[in-house]
Amino acid sequence: MLGDAWAFVSSAAIASEIENFLWAGLEYIDIDGNDQPYLATEVPTTENGRVKVTDLGEGKKRIDIHYTLRDDIFWSDGVPITSADVAFFYEVGKYPGAPVQDPSYWNRVKLSVQDDRNFTVSFEPAYFYDLVGSAIGIAPAHVMKGEWEKTKAEIAKLDPEKDAAKITELFQGFVSKFATPNALNKGSMVYSGPFVLKKWVPGSSLEMVRNPKFFITPPGGADKYVQKVTYRFIGDTNALLVAILGGGIDATSSVALTFDQARAPQLVRRAEGRFDIWAVPGVIWEHAEVNKFGNVQEVKDLMLDNPKTRQAILYAMNRQGLVDAFFDGLQPVADTWVHFADPNANPNVKKYPYDPEKAKQLLAELGWKDLDGDGYLERKTDDGRTVKFEIEYVTTAGNRIRERTQVFFQNDLKKVGIKVKINNAPSSVVFSNDFFSKAYDGSWKGLFEFAWLFGIVDDAGVFTCKDYITGETYVPTPENNYSGVNFGWCNEEFDQLRAKAMIEFDAAKRKQYWQKMQEIWAEELPALPFYWRSNPLVVKKGLVNFVSSTYFGSFGYPTTNAWLIGWAENGAQQVFDQAKYGISALEQ
Amino acid sequence: MIAYTLRRLLQMIPLLFFVSLAIYTLVALQPGDPLEGLIFQNPHLTQEDIAKLKAAYGLDQPIHIRYFKWLGRALQGDLGLSRTYAQPAAQFIYGRMQNTLLLTGLSFLLALAVAIPVGVFSAVRQYSIADYVVTFFSFVGYSTPVFWLGIMLMLLFAVWLPERLGRFEPIFPAGGFVSPGMSPDTVGWWAYLKDRAWYLVLPVFTLSVLSMAGWTRFTRSSMLEVLQQDYIRTARSKGLAERVVIYKHALRNALIPIVTLVGLAIPGLFSGAVITETIFSWPGMGRALFDSLLEKDYNVAMAALVFLAFLTALFNLLADLAYAVVDPRIRYN
Repeated sequence: MLGDAWAFVSSAAIASEIENFLWAGLEYIDIDGNDQPYLATEVPTTENGRVKVTDLGEGKKRIDIHYTLRDDIFWSDGVPITSADVAFFYEVGKYPGAPVQDPSYWNRVKLSVQDDRNFTVSFEPAYFYDLVGSAIGIAPAHVMKGEWEKTKAEIAKLDPEKDAAKITELFQGFVSKFATPNALNKGSMVYSGPFVLKKWVPGSSLEMVRNPKFFITPPGGADKYVQKVTYRFIGDTNALLVAILGGGIDATSSVALTFDQARAPQLVRRAEGRFDIWAVPGVIWEHAEVNKFGNVQEVKDLMLDNPKTRQAILYAMNRQGLVDAFFDGLQPVADTWVHFADPNANPNVKKYPYDPEKAKQLLAELGWKDLDGDGYLERKTDDGRTVKFEIEYVTTAGNRIRERTQVFFQNDLKKVGIKVKINNAPSSVVFSNDFFSKAYDGSWKGLFEFAWLFGIVDDAGVFTCKDYITGETYVPTPENNYSGVNFGWCNEEFDQLRAKAMIEFDAAKRKQYWQKMQEIWAEELPALPFYWRSNPLVVKKGLVNFVSSTYFGSFGYPTTNAWLIGWAENGAQQVFDQAKYGISALEQ
Repeated sequence: MIAYTLRRLLQMIPLLFFVSLAIYTLVALQPGDPLEGLIFQNPHLTQEDIAKLKAAYGLDQPIHIRYFKWLGRALQGDLGLSRTYAQPAAQFIYGRMQNTLLLTGLSFLLALAVAIPVGVFSAVRQYSIADYVVTFFSFVGYSTPVFWLGIMLMLLFAVWLPERLGRFEPIFPAGGFVSPGMSPDTVGWWAYLKDRAWYLVLPVFTLSVLSMAGWTRFTRSSMLEVLQQDYIRTARSKGLAERVVIYKHALRNALIPIVTLVGLAIPGLFSGAVITETIFSWPGMGRALFDSLLEKDYNVAMAALVFLAFLTALFNLLADLAYAVVDPRIRYN
């Protein structure tokens, strides 16, 4: 589904990538991770007076963000884009019973419109990330309003408490009038981005052509850049590889090949003079969570709630060796949960290079010794039992890279006397509430490898114990009905710093808090950071500006500046150099 | 016969009820629900938010209540909305069914068109070199994994051969089901149909190989059995031409078990072929069903599975009725 501006039905990475071609927002995140104006005249900041911060006391703030729309922006049918389109987006999302996927945003946002081009978006309480990217969305009121009025009349007949499911269906029915393949192919929608949709054959292909009403002219004129873009949907990545080899694909999407396939000898061998293959560091953080709930017997026996134990385990894991062996070093080792490309990253945090001797020393200090000579460590507990250092290691069954990683680390840990017991299950099982969230009850008892996606607006919620702004607790226990994903790490200083950072709108000051949080994190290691996944991108020689970076369009979408994509041979000028933002897999 | 048919049709009602109940329960008992991914990715969701979301998607109700609500609406022809594709589940299934029938129907016909003559040929020339060749290829075809064959054919026709021939255009495309931009309005019907046929060659062949090989073996053994019957010897001793003996006397009798086998394969045509469809990026039922289960798109999964259950029951009934037509000794009452 495309154009579901409120995500009433679904939101998928590939949809976001394609939507970059079709719809423009108020702002976008540029290739260097900075805000840039798009439909707005400028990015609101405190310096230019467009952002007003009000201290509400009790650690809460409010911000008012004033936007002015450009005067040369039109929908693809020629109707001007105005504040009415923003107001329409707001009205629908804010309407009682709307099945919005991010209630936290909708509960805090308010809109006031001054005129056709000026409006103010307010947040209360406000957080720093409200200033990153567009503060509000936009939807074509002149196209959708009629249908919305009918939907509203239907909703009015229902009781929001009793008929929640029915109301959800009405909302979904409303967007599906405009956003399904059938509707889009019939021309039910209008576009604000550099391209318009021409034809979508579900599961097969999607064609877009240039939008003549789009307001940005690329250097040298739009006629020198691609006029038509066709996405082909190929579900099987091996088949995609064959399609690339067969010459039918000019570039891969940001969610296409696996990292291994992009380096397949069949592709690399044929790439010379035909393709570039890039590895672009992404925001997906591969790591292992550690169960730190001391009430779980195994956790207590292995002292996993003690940072020293976690440090020893990380010292014993040869992460650089792993990324060199599996990924030719193209996926960088992670030091904390903050990406090294994040402007707030602290490069001076404590690091844990592979050092099995140091690991052994830490374990010995904790009282671990090989008592029975079997090569694995044991210790006597306070209640007189002898326990062996045998740790459970869970991950998603069927994910080959993770399963290989497990075996790699199993071998590393064996060298320091730690026995690893692998316990994998399909992702639907390990991520189900009963398993994932119930570490407190010992559903998993040791390490759990998976990935988090930390975009440019990450707020460290994953490692927060107590949220001092909302009063919520993010440690899943029976008391809070197992909500949150912090598996038993509470550090008051970290939480207090986060509470300050969350409402600090001065970037330099926020960076100080954030850097201190990373220091604490690296010392305490609430989780074991492995590496940042890189996204492979295969691009035909001569295709310029189809580039990706860690934060381009928030998540590295190569289509963020879609109007610049073109063929050098047709006169398209190269604006971005992928070599600045990624590593060529061909030169490895 | 009419009474029997009516009785069987009536029996299908409780059958479909229990099948749909079983499917609904199994689908709902899968670990996780459609909202878990959302909750998992958003640590800001409060308990209140989660409760509201569950209510909004009807997931706050126990399974049996959800089932009867679904059933009530299904009986009125409303199979709900696909969460992933945001269109009515029935409409989505219908579109996918058309694509699937094209693929499976053609491969079914191809398999039949090859298997029966080749099987007969092989049986008539038992233990000849030709028979050994057919037997060899039948075993190879029967034991070749579809995913491997599909990828190899794509590599051969889209990469290796064009490279050897010094051309960039693939001989047959590596997946997909129509060239981008092709429609009868833009290029005319003839060019459009040619393009569709070009995309069909590899998946149809890949999908037909398994049944082609199996049915060849089955035809061969069925023919061999019939050829040893007394009435064949009688036919020959009457001085009938060998062609008449083979095609009129032997084949007609050998076909009875084959008709049964082929008849049972018909419901499978509708369920699609998940592996072939995935490899060739063919938007058919197999992939729709597989994806809907993975995505926890319950409405699509239910619509597809119950529809397939209905077709299976219907074709079983038709097969039973066909016996009476084929074999006059069978009578239903």
